[in-house]
Amino acid sequence: MNRILLIAALVAAYVGVPLLFGGNAYVLGLIVAALTIAGVAVAWALLGNLGGMVSFGHAAFFGVGSYTSAVLAMKLGVPVFAAMLLGGVGAAVSSIAMLPALRLRGPYFALAILAYAHIFQILATEMTPVTGGAGGLLSIPRFPKVLGLDFGEKLGGYLIVLTIVVLAALAYDAIRRSTWGLALKAMHDTEVATRVVGVPSTHLKAAMLVLSAFITGLVGAFNAHFISFLDPDYAFSSGWTVLPIAAAIFGGYRTVWGPVVGALSIYLVDQLLFKPILPHGHQMILGVLLCAMILFSPGGLMPALRRRPVKENRHAHA
Amino acid sequence: MLTLEGVQVNFGGVQALKSASFSVAEGESIGLVGPNGAGKTTLFNVISGVVRPTAGRLDFRGTSLLKLPEWKRARLGIGRSFQIPRPFGHCTVRENLLVAQRFGAGKKDPRRIDEILDILNLRDKADRDATTELALTEHKALEVGKALATEPSLLLLDEVLAGLETSSKRAFMERLAAVRDRYRLAMVIIEHDIATIAALCPRVLVLNFGQIIADGSPDAVFRDPDVIRSYTGETTLAEAS
Repeated sequence: MNRILLIAALVAAYVGVPLLFGGNAYVLGLIVAALTIAGVAVAWALLGNLGGMVSFGHAAFFGVGSYTSAVLAMKLGVPVFAAMLLGGVGAAVSSIAMLPALRLRGPYFALAILAYAHIFQILATEMTPVTGGAGGLLSIPRFPKVLGLDFGEKLGGYLIVLTIVVLAALAYDAIRRSTWGLALKAMHDTEVATRVVGVPSTHLKAAMLVLSAFITGLVGAFNAHFISFLDPDYAFSSGWTVLPIAAAIFGGYRTVWGPVVGALSIYLVDQLLFKPILPHGHQMILGVLLCAMILFSPGGLMPALRRRPVKENRHAHA
Repeated sequence: MLTLEGVQVNFGGVQALKSASFSVAEGESIGLVGPNGAGKTTLFNVISGVVRPTAGRLDFRGTSLLKLPEWKRARLGIGRSFQIPRPFGHCTVRENLLVAQRFGAGKKDPRRIDEILDILNLRDKADRDATTELALTEHKALEVGKALATEPSLLLLDEVLAGLETSSKRAFMERLAAVRDRYRLAMVIIEHDIATIAALCPRVLVLNFGQIIADGSPDAVFRDPDVIRSYTGETTLAEAS
């Protein structure tokens, strides 16, 4: 993304949105939910685009991050911001259990990670003394007030999740531009050829999996303290995998900001436009839109937007 | 620098290599020849770590390679090319070399990259897409370039001249000789063209049915009756075993 455009977007996000919607709890709540999906979508795209792995199991990292943070804050009295970071660490640690799946490729990896995700959901349901079992956890501590700003409110939550998403996207961009990113890109078609020139391909893929899990866990931990409630069906819901994938594909998963733009577009348009028109089944319109995007611009929204000026120039020359 | 002793490779019931033993000295150039299916590429795969041997010893400068993965062997100084070029997808020619240098040699040295591009006549293709915008000779050169960028002391070249027309082959051979002399490399070259091997390598190994049947100067080896028989197809599987 153009640097000036990025700075303008960040100013709009940090200043414009609070000024415009700071008093509208409903819209701000929707934006927070969209950014929550965006955070997972960035993490998913990082693993898919850089690591070359399609994951159907990100709900596991989301759930593990949520529960780790909530349990640490509720049972051990860990401060909420520290617990949130540890939620990310917990998800990263849980991803280590999935490292054997890195030997698998394509649909086999996707299915293996889906199975792993289910294991964590069962654990959360069965470990009743720690997780509250199927009944879940109620009254999870909210974010505290810092320097007069109540992070437990909608606006504070918005600023937290926005910062997580921005930092995740910047980290993704930094890795993509580094020699690590170059090696990861090189690995996609011919992993053995990269290994014989010294690239520890499995280590790099593992690093991407752990980082992706950390980001997802952090977002899950944020969500737990923002909504103040958790149960296994919600925390490990397949929605935390499906919606981010749809968002990343819609926005353009091969771009850094595509998943963010995709999440904001599909969630906000769905909730603000389609849902009032069609309260039941509004997701169908979203499905049709996603299919249209895949058919007409397989790269997603961001590449389509970038292509437009080229076409205009061509017409101008004609 | 490299010693193989009794190296065996079995793929299920097929014995691809049976008790291969030889050594390579520092700076030595060796031609590895043999009929199709003799086990030449398998031997390279074993040395570079792509295939694990079923039995045998494999040492490089006093270090056993047996438990080392491919990427660690590359960092020890073993570079290789593939018979079918494998450029890194969606990367330019320069990026291919950068990845190899950064991870194989553990450094960033743009001057060395430019030097490799010049020697291999790839300088004007440096910013082209390595997968879609190169001719066969350039793909072959890039294979050698990637291996060179890791700063190897032993270079394994798998049929880098195959498929090239005579004039391209001659030019490529000159480049290989320049590479060897410039970086003082030991090289093992798999090649079917006997004249090419004789011009580049003072020593030739002949592999047939997974075992080395001759080892010596090109002149002596290519007069060896066993070698002639293996090429004319008179060595049967029963004889070889």
